[in-house]
Amino acid sequence: MRRAALAALVALCAAAPAHAQFNFNLNRLLDVGKNVRQAAGGIDPKEEIELGRDMAARLLGAAPLVANEGLQRYVNNVGRWLASQTERPELPWRFGVLEAPQLNAFATPGGHIFITRGLVERMRNEAELAGVLAHEIAHVLKKHHLQAMQKTAQLELANTAITTFSRQDASAQKRDKLLSAGSELFARGLDKSDELEADRLGVVIAARAGYDAYGLPAVLQTLQAMNPADSGLALMFKTHPAPAERLDALEKMYPTLDAYAAQQQLAARFLGALGR
Amino acid sequence: MRIALVALAFPLLALAEAATVVRATDLKQSPATDAATLAPLAENATVQTLERKGGWTRVKTEAGAEGWVRMLTLRYAGGSEAKSGDSGIVQLLNVARTGTSGTQVTTGVRGLDAELLANARPNAAELDKLQRYAAPEEAAAQFAARGPLQAQRVEYPKGAE
Repeated sequence: MRRAALAALVALCAAAPAHAQFNFNLNRLLDVGKNVRQAAGGIDPKEEIELGRDMAARLLGAAPLVANEGLQRYVNNVGRWLASQTERPELPWRFGVLEAPQLNAFATPGGHIFITRGLVERMRNEAELAGVLAHEIAHVLKKHHLQAMQKTAQLELANTAITTFSRQDASAQKRDKLLSAGSELFARGLDKSDELEADRLGVVIAARAGYDAYGLPAVLQTLQAMNPADSGLALMFKTHPAPAERLDALEKMYPTLDAYAAQQQLAARFLGALGR
Repeated sequence: MRIALVALAFPLLALAEAATVVRATDLKQSPATDAATLAPLAENATVQTLERKGGWTRVKTEAGAEGWVRMLTLRYAGGSEAKSGDSGIVQLLNVARTGTSGTQVTTGVRGLDAELLANARPNAAELDKLQRYAAPEEAAAQFAARGPLQAQRVEYPKGAE
């Protein structure tokens, strides 16, 4: 990150037009460089949460919550219990079921997690729900989205920095760029390595919470068994590695999976919350 | 009504469905690595899946033998090109939903495609609801205890932290 910001600064200096103006411009360029660096690195937890909340509001603009308070509170209980088993229990964790027939799940920085009605309805028990929520929680813990957004925003800021000398402008721009990078990210997806890491950590987090560790693999197998051309899967398959590849990668986790395979599945409580 | 329709159209996938094993493996007498081997299974062997228990799935081989294989080694036919066309889950749900009540004809719930996500405007009212439904840590712990779920100490895989 820092090296990239430095590279942007060097590029700016190289772009300074006239030799005679160089000393005068250097101070301003150094300021711009600082702003670019801030966009890249210094996001504190408060900013992380606010940014995630803004992204969550946009997601909810695309699909509202399912109008079932009991289901929403149930999913929040499962999610909050999982999050309590992690290294960031203090985040304001929020969980929501989105009114959408497609199968997908989303996380935004700071602890906002969403799962679609389409995906919940394909699950068999609470351990499967926990597996998917734990995968999304892992994205938040590892700041996968935040880092990807910062990378995009930083590149864009560096491109526009030459015309943006005031610190205030740069700060407002930073937020806008980050947010638009966030929206784009939901359509484009994270790096494959981030997804596979979230699968591994998700298995561990679900096991910590007392669930059958095979919940997440079971959901992946459900997805794998579906027709990839199904319209409900288009975005999920575009933004994630193929389920078969994710199942292959999870074989590394056999020791954890098998040690906690006999834990709770809680099918009755899950189906009850869904009104089945 | 809607849920009943879905259940009808999509029975649990684990039951009696054709799958193949992704690599050569052993058909076990019981769901455990140290269980007796009933027969070897070649790569790409076709089986019918019967039930899952932990990380194991009970299967019936083409030769008629029944036993257990590692769940993660199974790939279902639907994930390949074997089936064609759309299973129609989105259309089905939309039809079912409009069918439940004449007044609640789902306005704009087309679902989450890439274009919709990129152009969505913030929805403050729904965000308020999201905050309101949040579970306090203590309440979630009580919910877990009713499961009953018991917290375990489990390490992250090496290199993940």
